[in-house]
Amino acid sequence: MKNINNPAELERIAGKIRLKALEMTVAKKKGHLGGTFSCVDILVALYYGGGLGIDPSRPQWPDRDRFILSKGHACLGLYPILVDLGFMSQERFDTYGDNGGLGGQLDTGIPGVEWNTGSLGHALGVCAGMALAAKMDRKNYRAYTLLGDAECAEGSIWEAITFAGEKKLNNLVALVDRNRLSVTEVLDDDSFFRSFPDAVRSLGWDCYDVDGHSIPALLETFQKAKTSEKPVLIICQTIKGKGVSFMENTIKWHHSVPTAAELEKARAELVKERP
Amino acid sequence: MSLADKDIRDAFFDELCRIGSRDPNVVIITNDMDVFSLRKFKQDYPRQFINIGVAEQNMINVAAGLAACGKRVFVFGILSFVTFRCYEQIKVNICSMRLPVTIIGMGAGLSFGFDGPTHHAMQDIGLMRLLPEMEILNPGDSASAAQCARLAYEGKGPMYIRIDKGTFPEFYNSGDNFSSGLKVLRDVANSDVTIVASGFMTRQAVAVADALESQNVRAGVIDIFRLKPVDGSALRDLADRSRSFVVLDENAASGGLGTIISEILARHSKKIPFISLTLPDKQFLEYGAREWFLNRSGLDAPAIVEAVLALVGRKVP
Repeated sequence: MKNINNPAELERIAGKIRLKALEMTVAKKKGHLGGTFSCVDILVALYYGGGLGIDPSRPQWPDRDRFILSKGHACLGLYPILVDLGFMSQERFDTYGDNGGLGGQLDTGIPGVEWNTGSLGHALGVCAGMALAAKMDRKNYRAYTLLGDAECAEGSIWEAITFAGEKKLNNLVALVDRNRLSVTEVLDDDSFFRSFPDAVRSLGWDCYDVDGHSIPALLETFQKAKTSEKPVLIICQTIKGKGVSFMENTIKWHHSVPTAAELEKARAELVKERP
Repeated sequence: MSLADKDIRDAFFDELCRIGSRDPNVVIITNDMDVFSLRKFKQDYPRQFINIGVAEQNMINVAAGLAACGKRVFVFGILSFVTFRCYEQIKVNICSMRLPVTIIGMGAGLSFGFDGPTHHAMQDIGLMRLLPEMEILNPGDSASAAQCARLAYEGKGPMYIRIDKGTFPEFYNSGDNFSSGLKVLRDVANSDVTIVASGFMTRQAVAVADALESQNVRAGVIDIFRLKPVDGSALRDLADRSRSFVVLDENAASGGLGTIISEILARHSKKIPFISLTLPDKQFLEYGAREWFLNRSGLDAPAIVEAVLALVGRKVP
């Protein structure tokens, strides 16, 4: 389990992960860069900052923390992490986008991946089941999921929120990548998002609002979550396309592939950001 | 009390309770359905029983999460709501994950005839058959229902079990070999017709065979309680020894036992006369007793006898 506490080092790693996702998207002409870049800092906090209790040498360790990237289309943010930590080989990552190779969603054939993704609204209920299993077995592992903000409109999310609140699953953490852009829409602070934290709180959860690009702030919030007596929702305020100026807050970059010129510009920005 | 006197629901759930009382990893979840024989289990093993409320999508997702962490999960509720309502959850989180979760659909066929098309279970076999990883069990007596609970517990993957209601004649006994998922109840050799049925309709098949006997038509009867994977090889052998096949199916014309048997016969080189008597391909926006629906659909015993006589070329008396 990585437990890096130097913020500059964690930011450097996040830049490196973004760069790998960018290069792979261009190489294979496939990828969801906008929603990948918005959640890379959250993934780095989980995997490198000590957020998740996991062991790459034992992917099936029964007492590991469970993590489901519900927005599995951001898999290009996770693949390089799994390679870097030793869950998966670089050769395997290189098959991304090839027929029969790594795909645009996650599956359990990949060491370190807990769940098959692709359909939204499922992971929170699944994680609630995992958290409940830990309670039943008096184990200390925790269940984390990272949801997209548009995904929170799914009815099954609300069934799971109600259930977890009632069951007081304080070993369950739901992170929301609040990047404010869905596939076709801008998701402003409308009545849904304005009432979201209070609604979830009223159903028996603790809620935090955090800068989703501040890894220290994320780690501090993960620590708070560990002492909560309730399930915890962390709304991570993020920027879709974060790290590349021309991609930020632009619907086009949900799943566009950069041209050669755009690649160079993006690369320069990501490399420059690395201290 | 012999198993034949026992409501098929009690036979299944009593066995499940026995299993659950021995294995603390067994978890039973319902969407707020009351089952008489689970009341004691609920009291004795409160940590292993969850009423998750009327939230079937979440019921399946929570079951999947529990199963992925080592629990043996059984979920139950009224059949339509634990299949149709949460189908994608089953497809993605139970089936694609290949988890040992058993989905128990209560009220097979037209057991809830009075409650309308939302409760009529006429399309679920076709629906669940589409899921490649899913096994489907449809017991038609108490002994095979109890066996289904054991099969589900011993199984390694997703399973769907349809549970009827009421008492049924005893077709199986606990010493039977359940491995092929079917049983020849009346010998097919030297018979004029072979009747194939499952679940509730097996009782009908036996009654029809008796009625045919009195008209000098010999009918073999096969009960199939495991609809998927169905034992195609045994059925091909039985078809080879039969003069004609009649399927009785309390399901819509498409997707149920009629479809299953026609697929087997169509792939088989030996062709025999075959008819499939099923419910119509429609949703009944009507309310009534099961027998009323069966009469109107040509699935009552006299109508079936008439159809069989026509198939075997006998005049209807």
